[in-house]
This record gives sequence, structure tokens and C-alpha cells, in this order.
Amino acid sequence: MKNQNINTNQDYKYGFTTDIESVKAPKGLSEKSIKFISKMKKEPDWMLKWRLKAFERLKNLKEPDWQKPKYPKIDYQDLYYYSAPKSASEKPKSLDEVDPKLLETYKKLGIPLQEQKKLSGVAVDAVFDSVSVATTYKEELTKKGIIFCSISEAIQKHPDLVKKYLGSVIPITDHYFATLNSAVFTDGSFVYIPPNVKCPMELSTYFRINASDTGQFERTLIIADKGSYVSYLEGCTAPMRDENQLHAANVELVALDDAEIKYSTVQNWYPGDKDGKGGIYNFVTKRGACRGKNSKISWTQVETGSAITWKYPSCILQGDNSVGEFYSIAITNNHQKADTGTKMIHLGKNTRSKIISKGISAGQADNTYRGLVDISRKASNSRNYTQCDSLLMGNKCGAHTVPYIKNKNFSSTVEHEATTSKINEEQLYYCNQRGLNQEEAVSLIVNGFCKEVLQQLPMEFAVEAQKLVGISLEGSVG
Amino acid sequence: MNENFKISSSEIKKIKPLNQKEKKIRLENLKLFNQQGFPSRNQEDWKFSDINQIFSKNFKNLESFKNKIKPKSINFIKEFDHNHILMVNGKLENSEFKFEDKSKIKIKSYNDSNFSINNEENSLINLNNALSNNGLFLEVANNYRLEKAIIIYNVFTDDLKDNLLNNKNKIILGKNSELHIVEYNINQSKNKFIYNTIENIILNENASLKTINLQANQNEGFFYKFSKGKMKSNSYYSSFIFSSGPKFNKIDAEFDLEGENCDCNIKSALFIDKGKHQEIKTKINHLVPNCKSYQKIKSVVDAEGKGVYQGKIYVKDIAQKTNAYQLSKALLLSENSEFNSKPELEIYADDVKCSHGSTSGSVDENSIHYLMTRGLSKKQAVQLLVNGFLNEIIGDIKSNSVKKFIENKIEIQIHGY
Repeated sequence: MKNQNINTNQDYKYGFTTDIESVKAPKGLSEKSIKFISKMKKEPDWMLKWRLKAFERLKNLKEPDWQKPKYPKIDYQDLYYYSAPKSASEKPKSLDEVDPKLLETYKKLGIPLQEQKKLSGVAVDAVFDSVSVATTYKEELTKKGIIFCSISEAIQKHPDLVKKYLGSVIPITDHYFATLNSAVFTDGSFVYIPPNVKCPMELSTYFRINASDTGQFERTLIIADKGSYVSYLEGCTAPMRDENQLHAANVELVALDDAEIKYSTVQNWYPGDKDGKGGIYNFVTKRGACRGKNSKISWTQVETGSAITWKYPSCILQGDNSVGEFYSIAITNNHQKADTGTKMIHLGKNTRSKIISKGISAGQADNTYRGLVDISRKASNSRNYTQCDSLLMGNKCGAHTVPYIKNKNFSSTVEHEATTSKINEEQLYYCNQRGLNQEEAVSLIVNGFCKEVLQQLPMEFAVEAQKLVGISLEGSVG
Repeated sequence: MNENFKISSSEIKKIKPLNQKEKKIRLENLKLFNQQGFPSRNQEDWKFSDINQIFSKNFKNLESFKNKIKPKSINFIKEFDHNHILMVNGKLENSEFKFEDKSKIKIKSYNDSNFSINNEENSLINLNNALSNNGLFLEVANNYRLEKAIIIYNVFTDDLKDNLLNNKNKIILGKNSELHIVEYNINQSKNKFIYNTIENIILNENASLKTINLQANQNEGFFYKFSKGKMKSNSYYSSFIFSSGPKFNKIDAEFDLEGENCDCNIKSALFIDKGKHQEIKTKINHLVPNCKSYQKIKSVVDAEGKGVYQGKIYVKDIAQKTNAYQLSKALLLSENSEFNSKPELEIYADDVKCSHGSTSGSVDENSIHYLMTRGLSKKQAVQLLVNGFLNEIIGDIKSNSVKKFIENKIEIQIHGY
């Protein structure tokens, strides 16, 4: 009950009140702006020190440049690192002001009207907000002792847990974007599942209050204590309206003995227009550590949006008998570019990993699978199986596979398979014959191609994701 | 961090009299090399074979080499009839074509001096441009098909020590010509040295080139060979790599398929034992439609050995109907063996058939068990299985006498296990 009170308070704190709107962060990346963020979030001193340490380190780091999709240089001094929620007056007043194309997509996905408003950023009256739904869920979670709140709240209320685990999987000494995030992250989710608790529902940012304004530097930390289980959903099948171009989130997962974490993402941010103008840069660092024996982390992702997607959800298999899984669908159309894959680092004995990646490329898009399987000397009897299939539509797009496979243990087995092909003409013809039009036929065939991954999604997501696959490829064939 | 290995410009003076222009080009290349040093793992292509580290661990100083002594007697291959070319420390000594029409074959010491002075990503090319002074030039005339294979005896004399040898080869095949080459490396030196080769291969329309790369013995040499090939329409290339033996060996092959209906094959069977390091790196560029490429790399890695395969298939947007295949299989025999692979596809055309596979693991326990129940010792069982594993590649060689000869060579290597 106590927790619930806190949440009501917080709801107030971040509500659309005038005094927050007027707050302006100093522009650019500097010690001053980091101190400002920390102060705004009323963070304890250790957190500020941690951020500054990351910033110190950032000064000596260079932006990586080995990736396939190149992008114009980002001026980090030209960004705002803390933006207060938008005022109601700046938002579209009603759905009439929203891009009709967007609305059409909503319709195809079958999204209710109220939700459409929320997604397209129409100012919604507090009454329509999903607060009430969220609070019911909260109660049930609190009963089980599950902590599910924003990371800022966790820093205040559960400093011991945060101190212990934050940065333990993605240290502040990591690569450029991860370190940048450590210095300036604004908000994100925090989940703690106590020992031997099976989380009774799929957790989703959607149910967390204020989820829509977490900003471009999100930080998520999920800890599954011994013997626990949690399934976490991130994102949304509907296209999201977003003001920020660069997204550099960090997601850290920690699974202790016998724990299991299932993390599913559906990403459909603005991909830019048909000529490749605009669109989000999605540079996310996601990493999970199977710390305990028999632990398991499973990543599932459906990436259809963003101008550039550049992420490698990874598993560090430290505990003996731990399991890492990665299921991915990456669809790129028009001028979209994706460079995604995974890293499976086998450290413990009898560790197993499985990678299934499906890349679909249409229009002038480029789709790259890049992955690492590393079996260390001590990881006896480990196994990996990797399959990456690419589908090309048209001769202006590209599909690439760049797997790195390292095996240092003679009792371990690594297998990798990859194919590249186009949609079978005969299959298309067969579908057409049975009365499906070109687009329906493509959608059906592509869904079949992705089936292995779609099956891994939780029920709620799977149905929408299937529709999304079809919609993302509209106009690419025929 | 290691200090970059520097090569003194006085090494260039050791090369035969040079004109000013050439000297300038060479100095420029050397300068570029000295800026970069040997390639290290910071470079993508050298990720798994950091020769900057390997060389600085094994060499204190490096010198160019001048032939001082004659090679010891050489065991020429008697198992099958062949033409031969004798190269000593990379320098053309003599050649004999008793089965051929000699007017159709042009052979001489390679001495092209038109090197580029570009800053190469691979600093070994700059180094080679700066210091190479030997090599082989071989050209086969249009419409001539050689009766017998040519064996190139690549002999390294036993006074080589801490030396750096650079040379360049060029092989040109005229239209409708055919050539088989066995490159047979015989190393008489018991010491460490570096042999850095750049090879240019040009296959004109309908030409066919088959090469076999073989090492005669275990040795302490450090070998690097960069083969750059250009293939015109309907040409055929096949390469068998059996280069186990040297302390370090990297074969870096890049082929441009420029004409339609080319067929490019690279196959290898390697047995990498104690402390040895072998890498095969390939890049097949499909630039026009209807070409085929096929790669099959099999490696067996024993105690503290390290095997690497980096392969890339590039398919240009117009190269429809490409058929490209890439397979790497590795067996690890010991706790300290290591195999790394990076089979890469970069594809811009949609109507293609491209696939690759890569596996690495131990010898199948069930198979060992089966053989042991039939009375073989564990060691014998493993040897038999390893032999079978590598023999799949040898089986693809058409000539029976050559096949037998290589089978024997591989068996000797495996028995060392």
C-alpha cells in the first residue's frame, strides 16, 4: 500500500504543470548539464559522482566508426540533455492535426481511438490516462514483493540494489554511447524480482506511469534474484511520435542462480520519409549477465522502425549451465539501415546459446547481421547454434552477414549457418492464384519466414507484430 | 603496447642499382610502412592474427637477405611427371619444360617497378613495394594447354636467419589456355625468417588455372602471401591449400570475377599442430551476373595451435544469378587449441543463392567409441577420423598420382599427432 502512495505522488511530480515546463536545461554536454540533470532528479551524491566519472571517461573516448551504416556527425553540444515534458499547447489538439498516414497505420493495427491519441502525442485529459490500469497492476506486484518503478525512483528508494547492480553489466568504461548514457541518462525502468517469485504478468513500460517521456537516454535495469522469472516487454507496435533524433539507451539484465529473464522488444520508431530524410538513430546497448548457475536470458526483438538501428543485445554466460537466446527480426525498407545482432560470451561450463536472426531488406535499405560467439578456454561442453537468414526484395537493397566465431575450447561445439535469397516467385504466384493480392501474399510469405522468431513473442505482442511485419513492407513489391 | 617495428632505409640500398624514380617510390613506401608498423589486431583484417605482436615476440631485428650459399640437395618429386621451376629464397634459379612447346610459355624474373605509393590498409603491401627485389613472371600464350603440371620448388636455404624476404609474382593465362601449378615449399632453414609475397593472377577468357599449395616440412618460417586475381568470362580457377608446416602462415586471396560464367574455387585441408598459426582469408568479389564461387575450408587444430578463417563474399547489385558458397569446418583436438572464423556475406543483388556455414568442435565421441570397440586405440581412432575429415578435400583433386602424393604428405603430418 505504501508503494502505491508513492506512485500517486510521483504522478503529480511529473504531471503537466507549468513550473516544470519553464525549466530549461543548459544546452550541450558539460559538467554543468550533468549536475543539472542530477539536481533535477534530486539524486544522492554518489549518483552524481558516478555520472561525472562516466563523463570524465567520455572525454577520452572516440565515437566508434566500424559500423556499416554511416551517419552524419552528431553535434553533442547541440543537444538538450534534459527536456521537461512538452506543454499541452505545443501538442496537436486533436487527431485531425495528426499526419493522416500515421492514422491509417493505426487503423490497420487495430489500435483503439484513445490509444491512438496518446501515441500520436495529442494532449490527453488526465481522465483518459491509463493511470488506473497501472495502479491495479502495481498492487498485485507489490504483494509479491516485486519492485517495478522508474530508475530515478529506485535510486532514491532502493539505493543498495542500484549501487550493487547499476553498471555491473555495462560498466561506465564501456564504449562511447554506453558511457554517454551513463553520464546523462534521464530515466528508465527498474525491476527487481525477489527470490523464487514468478512475476505473474508481462511487465511493460507501457503500464508504468510517465513512460512516454523517458527521453532519449533511457536506462533500464532488471534484476532477477535466485529462482525467479520475469518477462519484460519494451516498446510498442504502433509508430511512436518522437522529438529526439538520437536514442542511446542502456539496458542491463542480471539473472542470478536458476533465474530467467525474457526481454522482448518491438521497435517501430519513425524511420524517416521515403527519401531517407529524418528518422531516429537507435543506438542502444543491451546486455544481460547470466551470473548464476542454470540462469537464462532470452532476447527477442522485432526491429521495424528507426532510420538507423545499431544494437547488439548480448548475453554474458558466466554461470555454469546458463543459457542465452537471441531471436531477431529486422526489417528495413526505403532508406532504413540496420546493423544488429548479438554477442554470446561463454564463460561458464555447459553453457548454451542459440541465435536465430531474420533480416529482411527492401527498397534501398541495408541490413546487416553482426554477431560474436566467443567460447572461452574454461567453457567446457558449451554449445552454440546460429542461424541467420536474409531475404532481399529488389536489387537496390543489401543484406550482409558478419559473424565472428571464436572457439577456444575443444569440448565445445559451435555451428553457424546463413542463407540469402529472395521471395520465391512460385510461392507468390501460388498465393496470387488463390486470390491474395501482391501485398497480402508478401506479408504471408514473410510472416512464414519470420515464424520462428514471432513464436517467441508473448501473446499480446505476437498478433500485432505479425500485422506490423506486413505493414512495414508495404509498397516494396510489385 | 609494442613499439612499431622500424625498417631502416639502408635496406633499400641493398637492392640492385635503382634509378632515382624507383628509389623514391620505394622510400615513400617504406616511410608509409614505418608509420604503421606491422598490422595488428586493431585492424579488422588482422583481428585474429596480430602479426605486430607475433613478429615483435619472435624477431629482434630484421634484415634483407642476399643469397650466399647454394641450397642443399633437393628431393624432387618423382611420383609423377612434371615441368619444374626452381626458386631459391624467392629468386628464380632455373626452369625446365621438357613436356611443353617452349615458345608458348614465357618465364622470367619479375622486375616490374611500377608500384603504387598509396597508403595501403595492409602495411605489408607497402613493405613489399619498398623492398621486393625478386619474383617470378609466368605467362601462357593463348590457346595453349600445358601437357603436364608445373611444380614450383620454393626452396629456402639454411642460412636464413632473422631475414625479411619480399617478392612479387605474376601469372598470366591467355585465352583458352590451361595450367596446373603445384607450389612446393621446401624449407631448409631451422631458423626464423619472414617471407612476404604478393601474387598477381590474370585469367583471360576461357582460361583455366589450378593450383596446389603444399609445404614439404615442419619449419620455423613466417609466411604471408597476398594473391590478387582477376577473372575474365568463362575462366576457371581452383586452389587447394595444404600449407601446414610453417610456424605462421597467412594466405590472403582476393578474386575479382569480372566476366560472366566464371568459376572460382578455394579448398583447403590444414593440420595445425603445436604452436602453429594458420590463417586463410578470402574475398570473392562477384561483379557480374552468372558467376559461381565455392569455398570449403577444413582445419584440424592440435595442442596450442591456432586456426583462423576469414572469408567474404561480395555480390554487386548487378551480379544477379550468383551462386556463392562458403563452408568452414574445424576439429579441435586439444584443450589449448583455438579456432576462429568470420564467414562474411555482403550482398546487394536479390536473385542470388548465397549461403555459408561454419562449425567447430571436438571429434565425435560416438565415432571414437565405435572405432575403439573395433579394436583401435583411442589415438588410432582419432587419427583415422582426422584423416577422413581432411581427405574429403583431397578427394576433389582429379589427378590420381597427385592425389596419392598429397595423401601421403597429410598422413605424415597427422602421424606427428
